[in-house]
Amino acid sequence: MSGMLAELIIYLIMAVLGIMSTIAVYLAIKERDLVKAVVYSALQSSFYAVLYYFLMAPDIVLVYLPVAVGLVPGVLLILISKTERWEKNEAS
Amino acid sequence: MIWEIILAISIIYTIAIALLTVIALKGPTLGDQVLAIDTITYATVVLMVLFSVFFKEPILTVVAIPLALWIYALDIYVAKYLEKGDLGA
Amino acid sequence: MISVLDIVELILKFVGLGLIILGGFASLISAIGFHRFRNFYLRLHATTIGTIWGCVYPLIGISLLSITLNDLGASRWFIAGASFITALIILILAPAGSHAIARAIHKSKTARVQPCIADLLDKDLCG
Repeated sequence: MSGMLAELIIYLIMAVLGIMSTIAVYLAIKERDLVKAVVYSALQSSFYAVLYYFLMAPDIVLVYLPVAVGLVPGVLLILISKTERWEKNEAS
Repeated sequence: MIWEIILAISIIYTIAIALLTVIALKGPTLGDQVLAIDTITYATVVLMVLFSVFFKEPILTVVAIPLALWIYALDIYVAKYLEKGDLGA
Repeated sequence: MISVLDIVELILKFVGLGLIILGGFASLISAIGFHRFRNFYLRLHATTIGTIWGCVYPLIGISLLSITLNDLGASRWFIAGASFITALIILILAPAGSHAIARAIHKSKTARVQPCIADLLDKDLCG
């Protein structure tokens, strides 16, 4: 009985994390301020790392974390500081 | 009895993470979004170590240390960008 | 017959469980506090409660609790050591990171002090 309850709770946690990361990706695409888009992308990567952990792959978490949370926001912020911060509205 | 208490505490941490995500997605300024991500990540570290005790696998605790270290680097990137305007590269 | 080792194990188990439960409540209170505070500079208090009471003390509690569990075998010392090191790392890095963010936000005038009595560092930010 306790084994089934534990599995149910773990699947519930994974479902909540999946829904929140999808909302974060949608907001990262629609956002016009590029610094906030970088922050949304880092949040989504942090949730993905926890999902990989629950799927029992700790070596993938150790590789995913420095790339998606540490280095890609750093490189994107250097890029934003050298070009523009606000996306211009292209009337298409 | 200890295993049921560990499961109940992990549900409390998940509720805290879900409540903090609302601020991280909507928050009025950039600053409290970064503070919320900070607190979410440190609560995630505790969740990971709790589940490694629950699953009885010791190899799953090594994941917690790089999470705590790299999220500090994200704080420093955003702070340096806001204060100086460029990251000096 | 009760020996000294049994009493030490009992103390470690209950102190560890108490610290973990305290950490769960503190994290929940910090998450509620983020919604109720009105401006950015008050939310720094909620961040401190959420990281130190909510994430450093429970990790020390897990470290003490896992010494007493014999189901884990010989690897309980590994879990105890790793979680204690993580508690020390969070104790040093979390206040430094939130101080850096607070200084940068104040210097770049991004967030105003909304119900303000006096702001002696910069008079323009008093709302």
